[in-house]
Amino acid sequence: MTPVTKRRTDFSRDWTKHLFILFFILIELFPLYMMFQVSFKDNATFIRQPWLPTNPLTWHWENWSFAFHLILPYIANTVFVAVTGTVCSLFLAILGAYFFARHKLPGSRLLWAAFLALMLMPGVVNITPLFMLLKSLKLLNTLWSLVLVGIAGGQVFSIFVLRNFIEDLPRDLFEAAEMDGASHLQQVFNVVIPMSGPIIGTLAILSFLGMWNDFLLPLIVLRDKELFTLGVGLIYLDGEYVKQWGQIMAAYFVASIPLIVVFLFTMRLFVRGLSAGAIKG
Amino acid sequence: MAAPLSRQKLLREWKLYFFVVPSLVMVLVFAYFPAASAVYHSFFEWAGGDTKQLIGFDNFRRAFHDQVLLDSFLTVSVLIVFNLFKMVPSILLAVLIHRLKSDRWQYVYRVLLVVPMIVPGLVTLFIWKFFFDPNLGVLNGILDYTGLKGVLVSLDHFFHWGIFYANVPIGWLSQPELILPSLFLWGFPWIGAVGVLIFLAGLQSIGQDVYEAAELDGIGPIGKFIYIELPLILTQVRLMLVLLIVATLGGYGLQLQLLNEYGGPGGRGMVPGLWMYNRAFYAGEFGYACAIGMILFLFILVLTFVNNRYVRIEK
Repeated sequence: MTPVTKRRTDFSRDWTKHLFILFFILIELFPLYMMFQVSFKDNATFIRQPWLPTNPLTWHWENWSFAFHLILPYIANTVFVAVTGTVCSLFLAILGAYFFARHKLPGSRLLWAAFLALMLMPGVVNITPLFMLLKSLKLLNTLWSLVLVGIAGGQVFSIFVLRNFIEDLPRDLFEAAEMDGASHLQQVFNVVIPMSGPIIGTLAILSFLGMWNDFLLPLIVLRDKELFTLGVGLIYLDGEYVKQWGQIMAAYFVASIPLIVVFLFTMRLFVRGLSAGAIKG
Repeated sequence: MAAPLSRQKLLREWKLYFFVVPSLVMVLVFAYFPAASAVYHSFFEWAGGDTKQLIGFDNFRRAFHDQVLLDSFLTVSVLIVFNLFKMVPSILLAVLIHRLKSDRWQYVYRVLLVVPMIVPGLVTLFIWKFFFDPNLGVLNGILDYTGLKGVLVSLDHFFHWGIFYANVPIGWLSQPELILPSLFLWGFPWIGAVGVLIFLAGLQSIGQDVYEAAELDGIGPIGKFIYIELPLILTQVRLMLVLLIVATLGGYGLQLQLLNEYGGPGGRGMVPGLWMYNRAFYAGEFGYACAIGMILFLFILVLTFVNNRYVRIEK
């Protein structure tokens, strides 16, 4: 059997399954379709024709320019928080994991237990005292508070994953580096980081997604409109009394663009990262 | 590979402690300190300012008689049952995708599944809020268009619910009786990309030859599911189950945004986490909020413990 005919028979044998899967996925994508087509309508057009896209010549592009003006500052703030947070969080986690993985120094067992115990602690119930802590540190209404909490929140899981990974790296690499007189920091930069690209990428995506999507903490921490992250900005938009659905949907779409771009470049890491992420919970 | 060190080597390697200090400080300040502070302040009447009064177990006593809190635990139990049911489509979809013979299509569908995940969670939530809108919302539009609205109205006549009327748009998020049904409908068809990917990973260990052998034995599609696929993903199903229960028990972002800080009309969507948030940030009762947080924490801890003790061992 040639490959072409094989493929054809595969598809024709499986067509009922394809039908079911497509049915599920189409419903799943339906909200995105609505978001896209409503974003080009004003309220009157939308009430007349809610379901189908209108003629592209009559599209209301001003919805999109409104959305860009509104959302871009929020995106800038969120990018700052998520990128700074992810980079710092991973860097600290790599150092921490290196400490646990390379040598068993006195007290490292105790420290490891201290980290692991945090896995049991659900973050959400901490939000009240966390707020008071940020208040006494004078960090309320700053983006740094979000960065710091994000860094701290990512430590346990990242260190857990990275420790196992570093322990599995070939020992010769470290010994060779030590022979050449490399310090521990040099070993981290020249051995650990180059060797653990994919796992760092996966962890980075998880950490980035977590900070990108968070809105509970920003909601209570941020007061000034100039500091709003995406989450708070969208909640603010939702609170308006007279709703221009076209503008709102365009704003939602603009809010999704950065992740779409990231996704296009890192599709494989994304798919793997999300599978790993569920274990983190 | 990490072996105990001799005293001599320890003197050389002590600098390594500096590697763990930054992480440790972050965790101590932003995780351990708030947790300790929550325990401490749950025994105080505290409005968040400098003055606080030690009141012993009064906050906890109050919690046991707080009707809102008790009701909220009931609501969250219902939501947990909903969410367990909502796992079914993800399992089915994972099995369907796995049974495809073409690897290429499997990959295509996997990518398509992840696409909704790249839209910020809040956006999905707000689009659903828009779907629920009485006048413009998609849900009422579909019900009108397909005539299901008429069915609901006649059912209402028959059972005297007093919820659905012929010429009145259905207020999904404004009618107390409809809050829980709306929270159930939310996210239809309930495909969780993460769940599907995890289940797929579990299914990967089944080779095509197993299926061919099953076909020779005349086992049908449902038999295959029960005898081959389900046993293999049981670990993953359990994992998702625990994660889901813990997340539902502690979560409140959905209720806060879809409804409001009081859990919507009649407080029908009030969950324990939301009540904690409400007490802290709307009533300024930080001490009481800490106590609710402690109670919630105990519940989650017990669940995690039960999971570690009984569920993992069976694996």
